[in-house]
Amino acid sequence: MIRMPRVVVWAALLLGWEVFARLTADGFVIAAPTEIAQYVWRNTGLLWRATGVTGWVALQGFVWGNLAGVMLALAAVLIPRAERGLLTLALLAFCLPLVATGPILRVLYGPGQGPQVTLAALSVVYTTFLSVLVGLRAVPQSWLDLARSYGRGPVTLLALVRLPAALPYLVAGLQIAAPAAFLGAMVGEFTGAERGLGVLTVRALRGLDLPATWAVALLAAALSMAAFAGIGALGRRLSLAPPEILLAAPDDARGRAGASIQGIAAVAVALAVWQGAMDAFDLPRFFARRPGDVWDYLVTAPEAGAHRANLLAALGETLTVALPGYGAGLLLGAGLAALLTLAPPLAALVLPVSVALRSIPIIATAPLIVWALGRGAAGSITVVAVMIFFPTLVACLHGLARAPRPLMDLFDSYDAGPLRRLWGVQLPAMLPAFFASARMAVPAAILAVTTAEWLATGRGIGALMATVASTSDYAMLWSAIAVIGLAALATHAGVAALERAVLRRTSPEQLAG
Amino acid sequence: MTDPRALRLEGVAKRFGDGAGAIQAVAPCDVAIARGTTTALVGPSGCGKSTLLRMIAGLEAPTDGGILFGGETPDTLRRRAGLAMAFQDAALLPWLRLRGNVALGRKLARRVPDAAADDALIRLVGLAGFERRRPAELSGGMRQRAAIARALAGDPDLLLLDEPFGAVDELTRERLNAELAPLWDARGTTTLLVTHSVIEAVRLSDRVLVFSPRPARVVADIAVPLARPRHSSAALADLCEAVRAALRG
Repeated sequence: MIRMPRVVVWAALLLGWEVFARLTADGFVIAAPTEIAQYVWRNTGLLWRATGVTGWVALQGFVWGNLAGVMLALAAVLIPRAERGLLTLALLAFCLPLVATGPILRVLYGPGQGPQVTLAALSVVYTTFLSVLVGLRAVPQSWLDLARSYGRGPVTLLALVRLPAALPYLVAGLQIAAPAAFLGAMVGEFTGAERGLGVLTVRALRGLDLPATWAVALLAAALSMAAFAGIGALGRRLSLAPPEILLAAPDDARGRAGASIQGIAAVAVALAVWQGAMDAFDLPRFFARRPGDVWDYLVTAPEAGAHRANLLAALGETLTVALPGYGAGLLLGAGLAALLTLAPPLAALVLPVSVALRSIPIIATAPLIVWALGRGAAGSITVVAVMIFFPTLVACLHGLARAPRPLMDLFDSYDAGPLRRLWGVQLPAMLPAFFASARMAVPAAILAVTTAEWLATGRGIGALMATVASTSDYAMLWSAIAVIGLAALATHAGVAALERAVLRRTSPEQLAG
Repeated sequence: MTDPRALRLEGVAKRFGDGAGAIQAVAPCDVAIARGTTTALVGPSGCGKSTLLRMIAGLEAPTDGGILFGGETPDTLRRRAGLAMAFQDAALLPWLRLRGNVALGRKLARRVPDAAADDALIRLVGLAGFERRRPAELSGGMRQRAAIARALAGDPDLLLLDEPFGAVDELTRERLNAELAPLWDARGTTTLLVTHSVIEAVRLSDRVLVFSPRPARVVADIAVPLARPRHSSAALADLCEAVRAALRG
């Protein structure tokens, strides 16, 4: 192969893009690089200010969300009894449909950056919590015994052993959190802000301004990738070896009864927090509905039947899009990872690219995808699938790479061939990573589908929430949030149950006792 | 033996699980070990001798019976850092350099930092020149030697070694056997050593306790009345053969 200078390769790529965009100009999907450059050139000041606003919002959310995540993880390790409840709380914060929480926060905070910052913070709490929790726990028994054999308690253990052990995990968590905070900030801006990149996106979409949409999407992607890379570089600077994989093994729930008790407890915690938060701040009932209000609205009120029918119809529409997208994203990610393992040189090429692409706030590109594939189901399914595809691919590639060397050697010593090795050693080794990303993908799928519906397709529960938010129908808005939250928790629990059933057979060591 | 300063195990037993699935790891066990001596515990793999050691360290609670060292329970002993244990897998903290890992023993034992003493211990275990290496840059045997240095750094009264020389190469092992025993003899440390090597047991200790397959039970109690340093000799070979015979049952 002739090695061309990089500049030539890039120039060729840009030229190809330009030509392709010009040829498909009628399709109104792809903006040419020159058009995008022109837009950027003409609107430098505007883009600069918007980037500053969104960046500042994302940074504040990043700091608060990560602080909360780390605190929750520390609490979970120091007070093991509280872990279940804390886990549920963090998961719930992650499962809240941001597009619906946005308008409510808008009413709560009034004008200003409060809602965006809160959404940015909410979108990082869970992943940071999990990373740090896994890190604090990723300590061999003998290190714990060492501290115990000197009669030292949990505080010494935390300071001398657990915290240093968790640092690389924290860095990995922060890396994931950076694009997520950016995403949360932009979604917050979608739902009503005066300035910022999210506002520019909405405006460009409404005005069918293709170059503007592309410019903002590219800018958001570049900033997220820069933050992702920057935190990674900081970690290497501190010579923290990155953890091999961020796995949060589900705790081995004691039987079916144990699992359902945990589920009920989770819902109870969620309801208590909901009611408690509303009462603690003494929020007006008009927009700050309580669990009881939602129950009235959906069950006991005279028109409850109609409300329910309305809500469930929208939910059904959403699920018909979200489920295929979720499945497709997971299967394509895992499938491509497995295929790439059969061609190692290709995998070495794809991994860094996927890691980079994973950091793009896919939501920023959602309008483009819906634009390209139309407002039908195909567009939304693709948005969901793309959102899930990259994290799954990266996690599965890491998981495949963790196949135990001696087992690989064993298969090789019988000249078993790459396919049998994949089936016998690598795929089982990949399963924990696959399931971990399947769990994490549940809230991601919800975010993707509701955002696509809100911004572009005008169907499903995302569009319903957009409508009722604009007509101040807060009873319906809260009901939609509750139903989505419940559906997310249930799906998450279902995936975790499947995960336990499979891992109990393939890798019992992953299940915390 | 009625020395109140001795390590006394009275009816110590350990069962894991309960009901039909219960596993008796250690059978009720009565042993008295004189202060300041070195005792080797040998027995087949998985017989429960490591569990016994962990119970003496207070890391595991016996299901029955009691353990006292100089009148103190393992828990009180642990709390005043009177014991130290070197683990089979070395348990070095990967983010600390060798010197930091050795110093950690003193730190965990709440002793005053003493870099010179740490360096002396590092020299003693033959790791001089590696002070600034991280565990990942050391071989398995070097890591185990570092773990022994760390255990000694806290100046314990009771030293528990769980197969500490498993990964150490034969030559170094012989050198360590020759150099470490005088060290804990001089300090008056009471040392318990779990090992698979019969020759090491006889070389290092004043007494060898031979355990049966699970549940662990003392099947032979062999005194080693040899002067140090112990070079190969007919008496040593005879004792080794006695231990092997006991192991064969």
